[in-house]
Amino acid sequence: METPPTRSLTIGKTIWLGAAASAALIAALLSIRPAHAAIHHAALVIQHASGSVITRCVAFAEDQITGLQLVERSNVEYEAQGFGSVGSAMCQLDREPSTVPPGCFGSGPYWQYFHRRGATWQTSALGASSSALHDGDMDGWRYAVGANQAPSVVAFASVCGAHAPAPAATATPVLGPAQATPAPVGTPAPIPSPEAMVPSASPSPDAVLTSTGPPAQPPKPTAMAPWLAFGSMAILLLTLGAINLRRRGP
Amino acid sequence: MIHHPLAWGGWTIAALAAAFIDRNPYLQALLLLVVINVYLPYRGKRRASTWKFGIALAIVPIFFSVALSRFGRHVLFTLPPIPIIGGRWTLDAVAFGASTGLALLLTVAVFAVLQTTVRSADVVAVLPRPLYRPGTTVALALAFAPKTLAAFQSIRDARQLRGQRTSWRSAPALLLPLLLTTLERALQYGESLDARGFGSGRRSRYRPLHWTAADLLVVIASLAAIVLIAVLPAVPYNPYVNLVPVLPNPDRLLAVGLLAAPALTASLLRVDHARHRA
Repeated sequence: METPPTRSLTIGKTIWLGAAASAALIAALLSIRPAHAAIHHAALVIQHASGSVITRCVAFAEDQITGLQLVERSNVEYEAQGFGSVGSAMCQLDREPSTVPPGCFGSGPYWQYFHRRGATWQTSALGASSSALHDGDMDGWRYAVGANQAPSVVAFASVCGAHAPAPAATATPVLGPAQATPAPVGTPAPIPSPEAMVPSASPSPDAVLTSTGPPAQPPKPTAMAPWLAFGSMAILLLTLGAINLRRRGP
Repeated sequence: MIHHPLAWGGWTIAALAAAFIDRNPYLQALLLLVVINVYLPYRGKRRASTWKFGIALAIVPIFFSVALSRFGRHVLFTLPPIPIIGGRWTLDAVAFGASTGLALLLTVAVFAVLQTTVRSADVVAVLPRPLYRPGTTVALALAFAPKTLAAFQSIRDARQLRGQRTSWRSAPALLLPLLLTTLERALQYGESLDARGFGSGRRSRYRPLHWTAADLLVVIASLAAIVLIAVLPAVPYNPYVNLVPVLPNPDRLLAVGLLAAPALTASLLRVDHARHRA
């Protein structure tokens, strides 16, 4: 008795597709990546209206953190306000101003946000919650009147000491902005990790090394696994497309 | 092959959720491959215009983004201070526009698949009894617009064959036959409904819709994809923060892969052209 055409399976194609699907599944299972592969460091420079400068060195396990996370993990008191996709603005930092103006900004001085580019400060185009800091980056804040009032030039090494930027290209997943800490309204109460309690060998009296995140683990040799999973999926789909392309449309 | 409109409805919802919730370019590329794969076994002969429209829709955001956005760190070039377009043109803005455009292209592509695979009569057939009459009315009204456009094109072609130019001055000569054609079609629809006993009693089915194993497979795969997409956290792509996207997690790959179920069933089962044309 002949099998109805709609039910008949092509054995060769089934085996082929099954093998490709199995390869994709195995690759997906292999792609369990190390969550934290290295410790990175970023520097924070805060200059008050009085001219006093405080610096912090923050260690983090992720590939990148936001400027707001840098401030939060430095344990400096702050209050920020979110402005949609542009990011968060800093209303109060290290108890300055003493009271937060209504609407975050007052008519006088305000906290200005900068990134370190080479030897100079560059005004940030985004708010603190939307900016990204990698290993060796430095953020600067200055409470001043008028635009482009950059903080004093401070060398990264003078803040983070001998913590040179670690080599990149790890398989650590990068957190996107939506996964970053949302713009907090009100004074947060950051919980320092045990590492943060350890005094650092900071070169300046104001500098503090704040380690955050879980302790570092040695990287596992599975960096190619995500690519393998993605490639297998793409090859599977292309093969499926080639099979369906040869078919006549209804 | 997948026949049941509810199966296609579930697949459409899952595909749109994947297109809108996750903007990771790797996932978007895979999803586009999936949608093309699903489209191929069901493709008709005259569907290129939909894809052309989708591609045009995908390009427009790139131009808008790169011309209007001044954010980003990877500067392509800097224009003199011309109003609106002057300043830094960045690669980050190009990537943001491309990501948005790809999401629009995916939306058009998903609906192109739905338009190709699902007949409005089948959708009306699966409506619950209280919605049958309004559903039929809506389906007829929706079908009227393309039919009217086709009639307009036919009248214009007929005029050109007679050597008559089409311009705004010839509007009355175009609109009058178009109005007559439309009225005639409306009468035909009414007579057809009357001849079929529309609204006179309990409706019957000439070609009842049955759930097949392939339909159920697609529904299950679509539901699983929706759950994966909705429950598991996405890693959003923001080129202004990090231009190079990160590879998606395996669960996201799996969610997109599940959406290829209609293409997989179509490749494993032989196409029954007679049934699909029925």
